Amino acid sequence: MITYYGCFFAIFLLLAQPAFAGKINGTLSSRLDFYPNHSKGTTSEGHSAEVKIEAFHDFDESRIVGEFIIRGDKKDSGRRITEARQAYFRIPFAEFDVFVGNRQEFWGKAESKNVVDVINQFDAAANEGKSSKLGAPSISAERYLDIGDLQLWYISNFREKTFNDSNAHPSSGVPISSAQYARKEGKNADDFALRFSGFAGDWDLAGSVFYGTARDPILSVNSNGSALNPHYALQKSIGFEAQYTGDVTLLKLESLHGTQSSLIGVHDFAATVAGIEYTYYGPVETIWDIGLIGEFQHDDRPQAAANQFGVAGVRIVFNDIADSNILFLASMDRKTDQSFFSLEATRRINDVTSVKFTSQFYNARTANSAFGQFSDDDAFTLTLNMFF
Amino acid sequence: MKLSTITMFIAISFAVITTTALASPEKGLEIAIKADSRDKGFGNSTAQITMILMDKYGQSTERAIRNRTFEGDNEGDKSLVIFDSPGDVRGTAFLSHTKKADSDDQWLYLPALKRVKRIASSNKAGPFMGSEFSYEDIASQEVEKYTYNYLRDEELNGLDCFVVEYDPVDPKSGYKRQIVWMDKAEYRVHKIDFYDRKDALLKTLTYEDYNQYLDKFWRSNRLVMINHQTGKKTKLLFADWKFRTGMTERDFEKSALKRTR
Repeated sequence: MITYYGCFFAIFLLLAQPAFAGKINGTLSSRLDFYPNHSKGTTSEGHSAEVKIEAFHDFDESRIVGEFIIRGDKKDSGRRITEARQAYFRIPFAEFDVFVGNRQEFWGKAESKNVVDVINQFDAAANEGKSSKLGAPSISAERYLDIGDLQLWYISNFREKTFNDSNAHPSSGVPISSAQYARKEGKNADDFALRFSGFAGDWDLAGSVFYGTARDPILSVNSNGSALNPHYALQKSIGFEAQYTGDVTLLKLESLHGTQSSLIGVHDFAATVAGIEYTYYGPVETIWDIGLIGEFQHDDRPQAAANQFGVAGVRIVFNDIADSNILFLASMDRKTDQSFFSLEATRRINDVTSVKFTSQFYNARTANSAFGQFSDDDAFTLTLNMFF
Repeated sequence: MKLSTITMFIAISFAVITTTALASPEKGLEIAIKADSRDKGFGNSTAQITMILMDKYGQSTERAIRNRTFEGDNEGDKSLVIFDSPGDVRGTAFLSHTKKADSDDQWLYLPALKRVKRIASSNKAGPFMGSEFSYEDIASQEVEKYTYNYLRDEELNGLDCFVVEYDPVDPKSGYKRQIVWMDKAEYRVHKIDFYDRKDALLKTLTYEDYNQYLDKFWRSNRLVMINHQTGKKTKLLFADWKFRTGMTERDFEKSALKRTR
C-alpha cells in the first residue's frame, strides 16, 4: 500500500506546488491507423489522441517526478487509459537513492526484444513498442559503487497487461476474459528484483534476479471457446546482459533463465537474444549513418510466438536538421512458418511538432500460429506529436 | 620567359625552405601544452547554450542545450549535454568520458524508453544534432589527440597570434589537419580552419566575446562555424557560465544519466 500512497502523495505534491523548482512539459499526440486487410466485423481504421504531462519538482535534496498520460480512442476501449506512468519521490542518501511510487525502468541491451526487462508491465494495447509501459508501484533503492550500480526492487499491486478490443487491432479476434493467477494472492502478490550493472572498458555488463508474477500472461481458450483467459505464472529467474562496443560494431546479448509455475505445471525456461549491429558512418560521401542489425531470439516459454526467430534490420539516421530516421525490422521464425515486418520513420516538422509513420505486416502459413491470429492486423499508422 | 621561370622557381624554393625552417613541431607542442595548462584547475562548469542552425539561404532554427563539464585528473574531461528543445528530443542526454589516448566512452539517455544506451564513439566525424559541429568538435580537446606544428606568428583582429597546425592522431577523425590561431597573451583560440581528409578547406570556426572567470579561465560566449562546402552555418551562444558548482564525478557516471533533469 505504501507504494500507492507514495504515488498519490507525489501527484498531490506536484499539483499543490505554488512555485515549481522544476519543469512541466506536455506532449499532445494524434494518431490515425489504417488496417488494409481487416476482416469482416473488425475496425478498418482507428483514431486516438493522447496527452502526456511530465513534471518534476526539486525540494532541497529530494525530488518528485510525474509522468501522466490520458489516451482516448474513438472505437477501441482497450486503448483508452488514464495512467501515472511515473509518480514517485526520490530521496537521496550519501551513496544511494530511495524511490517510492510508480516508476518506469528499462533493463536490456538488444534491439528486437528485451527478455530481461521485467520491472514494468506493458501497455500492449497502445501498440507503441517499448515505450508504452505501465508504472510499477514500487519501493526501490539504487546504490552507486565505483564498480557499478546496484538496484533493489519491491513491487506491489500487480499491473495486468492491456489488450485491444476483439474487433480492434492488433487482436486475435477473441475477447479477453478476467485474469487468473498462479499465485494465491493474485493481484496482491508482491514481486522482488535486484540488478547489478557496470562497465569495464568496451564491455557493459549486468546481472539480475527476479521473483514474482510473470508480466506476459499465458492465453488459453475458455471452455466454450468464447474468450481467452490470461493466466499469470509465478516466475523465478536470473538475467544476464552484455554489450561489447567496438569502433563500428556492437555485440549484444541478453538472457533470462528460470522456472515458471502456472496452470500447465512447473517448467524451466530459457529466453535469449543475441545480436550484432554494424554501422557505416558517412557512407558514399553522405552524412548518414546506416546500421545493419542482425539478432537471434530463442524463447521456450509458452507465451512466446515461436521458439526461435531470426531478425534482420536496417537503421538509417540522416543526421539532418529535421533528425529524420528510418528503422526497418524483419522477423522470421526458424521454420519460416510466420514472419513480421515493421517500418518506422520519424521526422521533425518544426521545433514543436514531429511526425511518425509506422507500418506492421504479419505473415503466417497457418491460421492457428501466433501471427496467423493477427493476419488481419496489418497496419499503417501516422502519428503527429505536438510539444508544449 | 625562361629567366622569369627560373626566378620564380628559385623564389618558391626559397619560400618553401624558409617555411620548413620556421615550422616547428616542438614549438607547436609547447604552445598546446601551455594552452592546456592554463585551463587546468577549473574543476567543473555548467553553461546554457543556444544552437542556431542556418542553411545557405539564411533560414534558421534553434536548439536549447545545457552543458556540464567535469575536469579529469589523469584521464580526459567528462561532459554531459542535455537537450531542452526542440520538443521531440527534450530530456535526451549525451554523456562522454574523453580518453587521452583511446576512443572516448559515450552513452545516450533516451527519455521515452528510460534507456541508457552505450554508443560507438567512432562516429566522431558525424554531425552533432544536425549542426555543422561534429562530435569531435564538441569533445574535450586533449593534448594527446593531436600532433602539432608551429607555423608562424600572425596578427588576427589586432591580436598577436601563434598559428599552429593540429594534426589529429585518430585516423577516424574527419580532418586531415586544423590550422589554429591562438593569441600569445592568454593562449585563447580565436579561429580554426578545418581541412577535410582530401585536404580541402571544409569549415572555419571563430571564437568571439571571451570572458574571464575566477580570474583565470577564459570562455568564449559565441562560436560560429561556417561550412565552406555547403554554405551552412551554426552558431553556439553560451550564457550563464558557472564554475565549481558542487557537482561530483558521480554526476558524470553512466548511472547518473537517468537522474539528469
